[in-house]
Amino acid sequence: MSRLRHVIRHEFRLTAANKTFVILTIIGPFLIFAVTVLPSLLTQSPGAVASGKPLALFGAPPAVEQALAAAFSGMGIEVEHVDDAAAAKDSVLDGSRIAFLFLEAGWPDGGKAVWYSKSGAEIALYSAASAVLEATAREARIVESGVDPALVAKVLSPPSFEVIKLDKRGVEKAGGNNAFVEVLLTALVFVMLIYMTVLLYGQMIGRSVVTEKTSKTVEIMLSSVKSRDLMFGKILGLGLASLLQYAVWISMAFLLKRLVGPLLGLSLPVGISTDNLVWLVVFFILAFFLYASAYAALGAASEDEQHLGQMAWPLIMFLMVPLVMISALVTNPDSTLVVVLSLFPLTSPLVMFVRVLVSSPPVWQLALCIALLIAAVAGTAILAAKIFRVGILMTGKRPTLKEVLRWVTVQ
Amino acid sequence: MSGLSFEARPGEIFGLIGPNGAGKSTTIRMIMNIIAPDSGTIRFDGAPLSEADKDRIGYLPEERGLYKKAKLGEVLEYLAAIKGAKPALYRPSIDAWLERFGLSEWKNRKVQELSKGMAQKAQFIAAVAHNPSVVFFDEPFSGLDPLAQDELLAVMVELKQKGVTVLFSTHIMEHAEKICERILLINKGKEVVYGSLADIKARYGRNAVQLEFDGDAAFVADLDCVESVVSYPRWIEVELKEGADSDALFRALAGRLRVRRFETVAPSLHKIFVRLVGGEDAQHV
Repeated sequence: MSRLRHVIRHEFRLTAANKTFVILTIIGPFLIFAVTVLPSLLTQSPGAVASGKPLALFGAPPAVEQALAAAFSGMGIEVEHVDDAAAAKDSVLDGSRIAFLFLEAGWPDGGKAVWYSKSGAEIALYSAASAVLEATAREARIVESGVDPALVAKVLSPPSFEVIKLDKRGVEKAGGNNAFVEVLLTALVFVMLIYMTVLLYGQMIGRSVVTEKTSKTVEIMLSSVKSRDLMFGKILGLGLASLLQYAVWISMAFLLKRLVGPLLGLSLPVGISTDNLVWLVVFFILAFFLYASAYAALGAASEDEQHLGQMAWPLIMFLMVPLVMISALVTNPDSTLVVVLSLFPLTSPLVMFVRVLVSSPPVWQLALCIALLIAAVAGTAILAAKIFRVGILMTGKRPTLKEVLRWVTVQ
Repeated sequence: MSGLSFEARPGEIFGLIGPNGAGKSTTIRMIMNIIAPDSGTIRFDGAPLSEADKDRIGYLPEERGLYKKAKLGEVLEYLAAIKGAKPALYRPSIDAWLERFGLSEWKNRKVQELSKGMAQKAQFIAAVAHNPSVVFFDEPFSGLDPLAQDELLAVMVELKQKGVTVLFSTHIMEHAEKICERILLINKGKEVVYGSLADIKARYGRNAVQLEFDGDAAFVADLDCVESVVSYPRWIEVELKEGADSDALFRALAGRLRVRRFETVAPSLHKIFVRLVGGEDAQHV
């Protein structure tokens, strides 16, 4: 046991002291911030992005100007009336104004309305402007045609429709129109996170095992520790490093949610909840051990890193399936195919996790999924230990599948 | 490997000798429990070798290699730690060995920066840093220059004087001859000869003469009393036929060579090796 501890400590140190690891741990939260917080920041409060810069407006009738001013003041953006279109364009170019809205003479029935901006990407802003223009133009036309505006409003008013997310404890959450996008986004971020870390750490373990063979350290290691201790030491050492990374990331996520979110007046995606983060860690750990054991076995059976890369492909395919299917998983979390994928161990960590995020899978399915995963982890680990024991000493030739199967059966 | 049985006694230097491919490394791997023998037992202090015994054994594998990306000091400490040694013991020991081999300033450098010779020495330190009571060196001299080889020979004798049992394998007879007390000579996985060097020499060759001379000695091999001749750079070693007398050789040489040294000797291990292992294999030696 003490030997295993030394191997774990060594592998942990080797991993955690690595520059790549430190950089990834530090920039990880920023990446997560960029993918999770920024979009909601942009959609919920475009003003926060505009940073107080005014909008230039040319040629708008007073009623339109008032309506625009009212709409944009809500986003913290001032609407400035300008008389010189060329100067207004320049002010957008030099960055002193966020955009310039130009209404040609005769708008809405003859002239055009044009939105000038540097990037053309501030979709929230120009869709707001477009909505205001549409509403005011429609109102003007209704008045012109002599129909009673109240009647039109009554005819056109949308009937009530709401999206509400039910959860097991009976809490009802108003989803709003962004619910699907938000759920998709959260699921995507979490699935990407598990996919990337499992792949990264799996490959690190595979490479570490191959290096043990190619650098010929294995004999001196085996003169001191059992092959089983060497393999599990590697897996557990890297596992600890990955958990450290997850701990840093999750603390950052909570920090964002608790401190930065309220500071900017934002509500963060509902997906970042304690429940979901616990599930994230649980499914990561299970996926990690499954793929880590498989990679250790592949590493032991490989001749070199290139060979390992080839052999790992089928494994990576299974890991990629949920990622490719993410949209289908989110929209149809309880279809038969998805349920099967959420029970099959190679895909279940990711698929079941998505199901937990977007729906409420039956408890028996969750329990079965985890039981199957634990059984698969145990089975893979036992198999991997056998392949590892023999494969680690085989250098200089590529074993055939038949040989590998013989390694598994020898006592 | 088959039917191999031998023992090394505490505190002796034991040589495992044989041509390339004879099974020396395989034997040592079996002893180290890296690969399992199909049958037979390995005993340590009279009891079957256990995992715990491995802590008291130091091992220099034939395939050399240390973690290239790690610092030399860290690798040595790690390898000592997994032998169950305590830091208080292995830290000063590692420092002393690094000092001894002139590698102190490399302690905090990465292993991949070491030259081949330095890496060899580092690997040797890895085998002895935890103060084992038994050490196995598999071809310890390969890849070392003559100076380093002598240094290593001296270190092995020192280890023996400290009471460490030293087992090593080699196919270079001169090394074995210099420091071994007892040897096991194997070929094709089988024992050829086993015992103390003195006994083996006595058994295989009262009947040899070392000859230093001026002139052409090609005719010596054709003399009636001569079994075989091995040429060395400065002398030849002549093995006499059974029952032949060295006097007969001396008389035959008179007048044909200017003899500067004529000495009856026990034959060199090299000579015994060549004779026992035979023509084809001997070419590899």
